[in-house]
Amino acid sequence: MTGNAHIPEETMALYALQVLERDESAAVRAHLAGCADCRAELARAQGDLALVALSAHPQLLPAGAEERFLERIGARQKNSGERLFSMTRTKRARVWPAWLAAAAMLLVAIGLSAKVLVLRRELNETYLQLAEVTVESRHAHEVLDLLTAPQAQHVLLTTNKMPPAPTARAVYLSSRGALVMEASNLKPLPVSKTYELWVIPASGAAPIAAGLFQPDATGSASVVMPDIPWYVPAKAFGITIENAGGSTTPTAPVILAGLAPAPGD
Amino acid sequence: MSDSPANPKRPEERSFNRSAEPANSASDESLLDRVRMLDHAAMAALFSRYAGMVYSVALRVLKDSGSAEDVMQEVFIQVWQSPQVFVSHRGSLGAWLLVVTRNRAVDVLRRRRPSDSVDEVVLASRQDIALEAERRTMMEKVRTALDKLSPEQQQSIEMAFFEGLSHSEIAEQTGEPLGTIKTRIRSALISVRRAFQS
Repeated sequence: MTGNAHIPEETMALYALQVLERDESAAVRAHLAGCADCRAELARAQGDLALVALSAHPQLLPAGAEERFLERIGARQKNSGERLFSMTRTKRARVWPAWLAAAAMLLVAIGLSAKVLVLRRELNETYLQLAEVTVESRHAHEVLDLLTAPQAQHVLLTTNKMPPAPTARAVYLSSRGALVMEASNLKPLPVSKTYELWVIPASGAAPIAAGLFQPDATGSASVVMPDIPWYVPAKAFGITIENAGGSTTPTAPVILAGLAPAPGD
Repeated sequence: MSDSPANPKRPEERSFNRSAEPANSASDESLLDRVRMLDHAAMAALFSRYAGMVYSVALRVLKDSGSAEDVMQEVFIQVWQSPQVFVSHRGSLGAWLLVVTRNRAVDVLRRRRPSDSVDEVVLASRQDIALEAERRTMMEKVRTALDKLSPEQQQSIEMAFFEGLSHSEIAEQTGEPLGTIKTRIRSALISVRRAFQS
């Protein structure tokens, strides 16, 4: 990567991702300083990354996040205002009519600010309600997409016992990290225990915890769209009984298990 | 109260909502110009336009709402304090925010110091994602392109982009040769790029 040789595109992609080792990264940086062609290629790679970032599912902001941000930048305005006010105070004795006018304007401004705050609060509440409806609608669409996707894996998890044997059915779409599991005929557990669902990656990596659940009075339970990684092809799914609070690794025995067929089967 | 050099009031002492252009419909460039004048309304409009997108990327990487909000706040505070860092030749503001956010989130995830300065992030992409409708269309296009990748390519790009793993770490975890991982990541990114060129 020194001299006239340009940086290979594969290396440039890794540099843009900031996942090169430190020494390789330093070599690329040194080359970029003197090579406009490679800087242009880096800009193209960064553009590709922006597109990949767009694949993240839209999420609703935490409550109060906007207010917290506005407060942070508003603090600077408040300080400036204090400076402005103290400057005005030093001239009070010489120009009292101006002081009176300023005070009147201040009162008007306070009144208007209060009104603006009320209106802004009402607007924010409306936005929040709209956002909640949008999120609920999106969630419902995602569940529907999963259940109807031709590539989704449908897995039946059973034991060897005859009825009323517990069963579970999982639907999984690795490309969206989407998973829905419905179970029935589950035995009730003591409060110190919980059922836990696991995704067993096809790569042989460690099982991924996919949600804790308790059956209802009829023995039915479900896990809908748990927060799990995307793009993890699954070899199988399993359900274990864990201590309340769940576990990071499954505890034997696996009471329900099912192999995942090829996507779309 | 003009912006002339003779103006006796410093920018931060001027009123905040004098612009004739409504903040919600203003262009990113126009809003950034106003942010340079410490216009809170303009900054609020930029936050409102991009905060959801920025937070979604941070949450996707960090999987923790508190940490994701911290990263989001840090990114927007940087825009407020140093709006000059972003200039239009760096690409579209929305795309730039996405990359800067992803990088910061990965830094937090990997518990490392910020690995670069944001002014090093320059994008060739001119994709405008200021409007929600355009953003949604592009989002679907990207997901379709990613869905078409092989499971191995999807896994590699997931591990590199959203988990910030180095190619050697990915090779170690997947048991694949280093060169294979490099090629998969590169070809995955090229596939996404081509989806927008066709």
